[in-house]
Amino acid sequence: MNLSQIDFLAAAAAATAVMMCGITGIQTQFRFLALQTALFSGICLLEGFSSHGQHMAQFIILAAVVLIVKAAGIPLFLMWAANKMSIIRDKGNTASPPVTLIMAFGAIAAGYFLIPQFAVYSAGNPVSAGMAVALLFIGMIFMVTRRLAISQVTGFLIIENGIFLYGLTQAKGMPHLVEMAVVFEALIAVLIAGLVILRINRNFEHIDVTQMRGLRH
Amino acid sequence: MSKLAFLFLIPVIISITGLIPQSARWLPKFSAILMIFQLPLVFGICSPVFSGVEVGSGDFVMDGIGAAFTIITTIIAAAALIQGSMTLPAERLADEHKMSDRHFCLFYTLAGLFICTMYAVPLTKHLGYMWILIEGTTLLSAPLIDYHRSKSSLEATWKYLILCSVGIAFALFGTLLIFASQHNTGAANSLVISQMLENAKNMDPRLLRLGFVFCLLGYGTKSGIFPLHNWLPDAHSEAPSAVSALLSGALLNCALVAVWRLSQLVTAAGQGEIVRQLLIPAGGITVIAASLMLISQHDLKRMLAYSSVEHTGLLTIAIGIGSGQLFMLHAFNHSIVKAALFLMAGNLLYTNGTKTINKLSGLLKSKPVWGILLAAAAFAIAGSPPFGTFISEWLLLKNIFSAGETFAALCVLIGLTITFIAISTHTGRVIFGKAQEPKRSAPVLKWAFVPMILIIVSFIAGISVNPSVMNLLTYLAKR
Repeated sequence: MNLSQIDFLAAAAAATAVMMCGITGIQTQFRFLALQTALFSGICLLEGFSSHGQHMAQFIILAAVVLIVKAAGIPLFLMWAANKMSIIRDKGNTASPPVTLIMAFGAIAAGYFLIPQFAVYSAGNPVSAGMAVALLFIGMIFMVTRRLAISQVTGFLIIENGIFLYGLTQAKGMPHLVEMAVVFEALIAVLIAGLVILRINRNFEHIDVTQMRGLRH
Repeated sequence: MSKLAFLFLIPVIISITGLIPQSARWLPKFSAILMIFQLPLVFGICSPVFSGVEVGSGDFVMDGIGAAFTIITTIIAAAALIQGSMTLPAERLADEHKMSDRHFCLFYTLAGLFICTMYAVPLTKHLGYMWILIEGTTLLSAPLIDYHRSKSSLEATWKYLILCSVGIAFALFGTLLIFASQHNTGAANSLVISQMLENAKNMDPRLLRLGFVFCLLGYGTKSGIFPLHNWLPDAHSEAPSAVSALLSGALLNCALVAVWRLSQLVTAAGQGEIVRQLLIPAGGITVIAASLMLISQHDLKRMLAYSSVEHTGLLTIAIGIGSGQLFMLHAFNHSIVKAALFLMAGNLLYTNGTKTINKLSGLLKSKPVWGILLAAAAFAIAGSPPFGTFISEWLLLKNIFSAGETFAALCVLIGLTITFIAISTHTGRVIFGKAQEPKRSAPVLKWAFVPMILIIVSFIAGISVNPSVMNLLTYLAKR
């Protein structure tokens, strides 16, 4: 299967998600998240070029919004929150990072095998559909296997990125207004989650979700 | 400007007033008075729909289902804010760590916006906007759950925020798959349901079915379908009772309206089989699971929350068998009674300082009016005659049997029996027994007024359902 430039960037984004699974350092995770999201900004531009100027301006605006809001704004906010709480590492909960890494490779393989189920062949770039599904799986794996609330937000953002990738490469003609709204909803969700995490840290003196068992009746 | 814009006027006024911290003293009563005016206003806006005229234009149009759920949301929001105008200031006065004016007013700002988003969900015919609005309900209601700012409310808020956000992300993925499924229809891809219905037969069934599964996962999480319900008992029990009433009586319906709209689209595309195959067993299992979980509850509000999960199951089955009229009827009956129960639970929490069932005993002796109301509401929610829930559950059961869904019918029969026993036992422990010494006093009759009205409405709904009402609901469901 020949990889197009878009498929190549999608695969690179999935690779960054796999690497995040093997990393325990919170700040490094956010840097990889920023890199992953910046790759989507690149995909936006490539999609704009491939539309032969029809929607070029809209794709450029979307790429800029993704770059500023999702690739820079959100990771910077999360870095600030982690610094404020002096959070350095998340060593994982049910599975250690090496095990999570292997699971993430499994997710990539699953995404590849699920291409026939999810790809819109007329839209081109079928590998991107598989990588989008892989990002969904990796995001879920990340959320389930990490200990800290802030890592759950990272997992959620990986899932969001997978969905964004699918929308960009397979759901051609998606109204840009809806795509923009999705980006800003993600920003608001992360801001609210960040504020809740800061409050959790103040009240519980930790942000370990496995220790939050007060409501388990 | 569309007439629909007037729906949002009063909630927006409440929101804006909430931005003024100096309004803390009079805002609760002001918002209660405004919500009383909202009731005739909404009935006025919805009335043309009953005679077959759709209200609104473009992506926001009020059809039969839209009108029914707008009315339900209005009744629940009015009840919550009127009762809140009495209980919230009293709670604030009794609070050791007195809540600041800013924090108190913020509650009203968010509540107004939350009501606006819940109004918009059943009105939109655009799947993209529907997703944005439902995600909006999550983001706006999360701070409302954390109103008390306790450790447990914070934990419930976190669970709600993260589980619902991930769930709703899946719904977005499903929406994209459904959008992409139009690639071979020959027409331009669209998210507007009416345009999608025109080309439904040519949609790619592979992507459409996958899209429906992901949307069900997402909106199912939001509505509390088993096993995606985990956030619901925590959020509903930790939120202030006015918010619990809104969450249970109005918000769950919003997510189910989204499932209804999608099920209609998928059925029109000739894939109705997947709607039945997924929704009917999911609903049946939800009813059974919730009824079993109801048995072991020790907390009054958690018991009510699990009862909401059970009713979500019933509503899911109604959607699964394609009965829009029963979906509307049962949603109305459940919402009214559940709001009454949550508001009563709020009263008890204030006076007794606890939600633990064992510590609330002897209500009939200490406050006979509240005792009788709680008993009536408990019978209503357990599906006893002569209340509306009995009629809708009976009709639903009849329809499930007629549809040949024996497994779901058995689940519902067993589930309703267990639920009746569990709710009667738990509520009986609150009503009878040794009277507890109240921690705080409250104006018994005044605080019983709103729940009493809701129970009377449920009673009237129970005795007034006849063929002509059902014909009207069938007509509205097809609009």
